[in-house]
Order: sequence, then C-alpha cells, then structure tokens
Amino acid sequence: MLLKAYAELPPRKRIGIIAIILGISAAVIGNPCNTTQTKVNIKEVALKSEKDVDGIKVNELAGWIIEGKMDYRLADLRNESSFSEYNIPSSENIQIGSLTKSDLKRNDKIILYSENDITAAQGWFILKAADYKSVCMLKGGLEAWKNEIVFPQCSCGDNPSEIQKQNHQKKEEVAKFFGGQMETGSSSTKVAKKELPKLKAPAKVNLKRTRSKKKREGC
Amino acid sequence: MTAPFFKFGYFNDEVSLIVAFVIGIFFGFVLERGGFGSGRMLAAQFYFTDMRVFKVMFTAIVTAMFGLFYLTWIGYLDLSLVYMSDTYLVPQVVGGLILGVGFVIGGYCPGTSGVAIATGRIDAILYALGGFFGIFVFGELFPWIEEFFVSTHMGNINIPTLLGIDYGIVLLLVLLMAIAGFTGAEWAEKIMANKKKED
Repeated sequence: MLLKAYAELPPRKRIGIIAIILGISAAVIGNPCNTTQTKVNIKEVALKSEKDVDGIKVNELAGWIIEGKMDYRLADLRNESSFSEYNIPSSENIQIGSLTKSDLKRNDKIILYSENDITAAQGWFILKAADYKSVCMLKGGLEAWKNEIVFPQCSCGDNPSEIQKQNHQKKEEVAKFFGGQMETGSSSTKVAKKELPKLKAPAKVNLKRTRSKKKREGC
Repeated sequence: MTAPFFKFGYFNDEVSLIVAFVIGIFFGFVLERGGFGSGRMLAAQFYFTDMRVFKVMFTAIVTAMFGLFYLTWIGYLDLSLVYMSDTYLVPQVVGGLILGVGFVIGGYCPGTSGVAIATGRIDAILYALGGFFGIFVFGELFPWIEEFFVSTHMGNINIPTLLGIDYGIVLLLVLLMAIAGFTGAEWAEKIMANKKKED
C-alpha cells in the first residue's frame, strides 16, 4: 500500500522522501567518526608483530633527529610530569587514553614510546585498531634511549681496533649531542642511577616540522 | 582502502594531477550540459526567473554532504583528512560579496566562465580576462592589504565543532534548509513567470 503510493509520486518527491529518511538516520547516528568501536584485522596485527616490522631502533631515531628529518610524529605516552622532566627531542606528549582524540592523522608516520615497550605496544594496538596506517614503536622505549644514546656503554677493550675506535667516537658525539656522555667507568658507576640531562632541545636540531608546511589545496 | 586516496599515499603528486584533470573534464562537461555555460542562465537566478543554478548547486551540496557522512560512517573515508581551509571571517565575507557582485555583473563565476570559454563564448573570455586582471591587481596590492587578508582568523573550524552539535544534526538542518530553499525557489519562479505574462 505504502510502496504503491510511493511509486505513484513524482520523481522529485520520491528523491525528497529518500533524502529525509537519510537525513533523519544521520541525525540519529550523530557523529560519523565515532571510533570507539572498531573491527581489528587480527591476522594483519599478528603478522606485523611476528615480523617485527613496526619498530624502529633508538639509533635510527637519533640519526633522524640529528639530520633534522621531521616527516614523522613522535608521541611520548608517559604522564605530563615525566614528560616535562625529560623527553626525546621533537616528541609531543599524548596520553594513551587520548591517542585517537589527538591531532594525529591516519596518514601520519607515528612513532610511539614510553618507559618501556608495554605501554607503547598498547598504544600501537589502539592506533592500529583505529586504522592508522603507519604506526611504529621505539624499540626498548626511553630506557633504551637512555642506555644506548644518552649514556652509551663503552664496548672497546684495552686494544680497540680502528672500527671500534670510530664507533666509540660516533657514540660519544651522539651522546654529547643529546646532552649525555659515554659511560666508561667501573661497574659501580654503571649500576648507579644515571640522571638524564636537563630538558633542552639540542642546539643543532632543526625542530621546524616539514609536515607543517601546508600544501595549497582547495579551489 | 581508505579515502582520501592521495592523503594515504595511494598515488603520488603527478598521478593526482591526472586524476584532477579527468575529474575536472567530467565536472566541466556536466556543468555545460546542465546549462551552466550560459551567462544569461546564470544571471537569471538573481532575477528569480530561473533558479536552476541555485537548485543544482544546493543539490550538489546535499549529495556531497550525504556522501561524506555515510562514507565516513561505514569507515571508508577519514573526514579529518578532507581538506578544509581556515576561516578568516571578515576577509571571506568581503571576498564573497565581491564574487557575488562580479557574478551578477558578468554572468559567470570563475568555474562556469571556464566552461563557457570551452564552448567559445566571447563574453566568458572577456570575463576570464577581467578575472586575470583582478588577480594581477590583487597581487600588486597585496602588501597593503595583507593585514586585512589575515585578520579575524578563527582557525580550522566547522559548524559542528563551533556549535558543539553532531554532524548528523547539521546534515538534517541543511537538508531541511535545502527543501525549504527549493520550495521557495519554485514559488519565486512561478510569481516571476506570472508577472512576465501580465507585462
């Protein structure tokens, strides 16, 4: 009966009725970008975890910072006070609970870190579930950053080879760049808690983000 | 696959230009076939004698709005990556008024003048030349008007975030506005047609 009456209406009125139904449905749906419930491709997540492709090493990140490469977003998932005490240059503080509400874009290259891998892994899973395309974790987190970049251990013996000497010098320069130093002391100093340098951006790092350069778009 | 494709890197800058070119050709073709290549037709809406432009444009807005909303809802589109320019309230209102006055006088908007040029209309060619002259004058005067150009910056805002209401509610309100607009346009057309008969 209703269908027959609908079929007899002129086309513009039929389109109008469909539009009103879709409009009312949209009002009921409310916000289309509600991402609190999503479907996860567990096979893809498992494969990525197995192949370990979504992790970057601390020395790789240090190299990017020194080079001034800024085509990524580095998210520090720790709390505000820990972040203000010390953070990796170019990072921004985003709490794990507000990851999907932050201004991180789905096409951004995102690197997550925390004290350790666990929180970063949780963040990685949240972003992957919310369909962020390029998310990776800083392997070993801030702990690895501290031990391998800011206060690296000297691995040369008594008679270091030329390559070892070069590596040592490189590590020392990198550590100095990030306000740290090479750890060469005895076992007692190794055990002692290392104080991270006071928070300041290294002088040579160009913190200007290339991604912030907006492309002219639109009509 | 999630849209916008370019933003997710499914194709590069060069391919994006080809895609834009193909879409532009189709867009121009549809505009021309819809009668938008005629300055008389376009200017007629300002005299309420033929509201086709208003109806087509509002239909396009509503269709795009539905498309964006439902494609986002099913997870095919990331709305946050769809480009939206920043709001500079006063300069944009002034710019809109200048465009409107130019539209009434010349009978075209920049896009439709391109369509009309494709069909060889001389008035459209002159209109476009005027447009280029305007761009040149604007460029030369820019240092003096730059302060005004960037004034009343409100950031990247839209109605749902500004008013704190859901996208769906805004969609319904715009739809109701369109229906009211279409009804009003048809009513105005009828009145003007009767007036013409009387004359």
